[in-house]
Amino acid sequence: MILLENVSFGYGDDSSTVRDISFHIERGEFAAILGANGAGKTTTAKLIDGLLKPTKGRVLINGLDTAKTRVSERARHVGYLFQNPDRQICKNTVREEIAFGLTAVWQNAGEDAIARRVDEVLESFGFSGDEEPFSLSRGERQRVALASVIAIRPEIMILDEPTTGLDYRECTHIMDTIKTMNEEQKTTVVMVCHDMEVVASYATRALVMAGGHLLGDGPVKTIFRDQELLKRASLLPPQIVELALRLGPGFENADTVEEMTEAVSARAKRKGAGV
Amino acid sequence: MKDLFQYTAGDSVIHKLNPLTRILLAVAVCAAAFVSDNLYYLVGLLCFDMLLGLLAGVFGKALSLLKGLLKISIFLFILQILFVRKGNRVFWIITDQGLILAAKVVLRLMIACIPLALMLAVTQISDLANALVQVAHVPYKYAFTVTTAIRFIPQFMEEMADIMEAQTARGVEFDTKNGLKKIGMMLPLCVPLLVTSVRRTDAAAAAAEARGFELRNRTSGYKKYPFHWCDLLAVLVCAALIAGAVII
Repeated sequence: MILLENVSFGYGDDSSTVRDISFHIERGEFAAILGANGAGKTTTAKLIDGLLKPTKGRVLINGLDTAKTRVSERARHVGYLFQNPDRQICKNTVREEIAFGLTAVWQNAGEDAIARRVDEVLESFGFSGDEEPFSLSRGERQRVALASVIAIRPEIMILDEPTTGLDYRECTHIMDTIKTMNEEQKTTVVMVCHDMEVVASYATRALVMAGGHLLGDGPVKTIFRDQELLKRASLLPPQIVELALRLGPGFENADTVEEMTEAVSARAKRKGAGV
Repeated sequence: MKDLFQYTAGDSVIHKLNPLTRILLAVAVCAAAFVSDNLYYLVGLLCFDMLLGLLAGVFGKALSLLKGLLKISIFLFILQILFVRKGNRVFWIITDQGLILAAKVVLRLMIACIPLALMLAVTQISDLANALVQVAHVPYKYAFTVTTAIRFIPQFMEEMADIMEAQTARGVEFDTKNGLKKIGMMLPLCVPLLVTSVRRTDAAAAAAEARGFELRNRTSGYKKYPFHWCDLLAVLVCAALIAGAVII
């Protein structure tokens, strides 16, 4: 579905580059790109969407080379949620905002079909549709931006730090919606994220970057336990993983609070049974 | 393009000039361009613009500016030669006077646009604000307003580029090759740009207030901006440029 082959990219000032990275993401995967600031995460996300064209190598989305197809055409299949929702929002009501992306992408669909889809999305996000997007809170604006992206039913969702500046409740709202799409509609998700707790809770695969290189690629559980790799990428695992590592055998799979609770219960039961 | 407005550090003779002298120099070149009616003198002024860029160590920026102005200049040139009917016909409906007038218009556009951008590229905005307050006795509020407006130009350009990128990702055809279509699509984007700008301005105002903006006056700046011999020389050059434009 997403294939990067020996991809390199450099900005004019060479401040942030991607150097010879290759990976393949299958349909329905939930991958997180991790790394410190300037590691090349956002550049990689933009390369996947075709907003940036590789200087070397090639990026294929569903077999199509991003260098040869227009971003606006690919928008039918690929949705991109930016860190700052204010760059996406440009209409006076939430209803118009959701319809705006749809009219650009569903050019052959009739007005009725678009209106029906807008109503569906409004209902699922709990918006009335008459709200003014710019008067909403940061978290609500991010939800409006997400609703606009989800409305087009993309096969691939690229999220650039979707939870930055959101409180826990808003963060959970956003991520739960994305996870539901991933699980129910097999939407492929590629997420750039600094929040390791969010990565541990939602992503299944992690791609670790540093200095424009891809240092590691594997299941989140394996990556978070590779302390050498995390150190090279200047990353820290989530606190719950650190705790699990210190507790040792029996806690290998405890990456979330739920998993830790299960592991502790299992340990208590074994002790109770005198094992 | 946004890099053109960013400050370039250096130790050139232009960098040594008082910030106000640099602005005066830019204004004098612009004034000379509009006063002069001599084609050769205008060509000379354009060369002077390039010389300024070379002296300031930003010749590359001067060339980029010239290149950037080339498209609009060609458009203006064609417009002029098609609509000016005076003079002797040279070819088709094009007259000799039309060609001369078109050349003058295009040269004036280039001469007027380049020096101010170059001078701003070699002047720290804070220096310009402080010099305006200390030397020209402009109230700090007004100097701050002017300099902040200049400072935000590259940021707004960056913001617009980011907004267009975000809209392209949503399926809006900003990656079309049809320039007119692109301009039409840019209009709705004024809303997010305006909202972001107002938010940014509001935040900047709150930050300035929190740092004692109201307490600042002419004596607040610790850096002094005296005039040197090179400033005097630059003022003489300014006078010579305008005098030359009037006489020639």
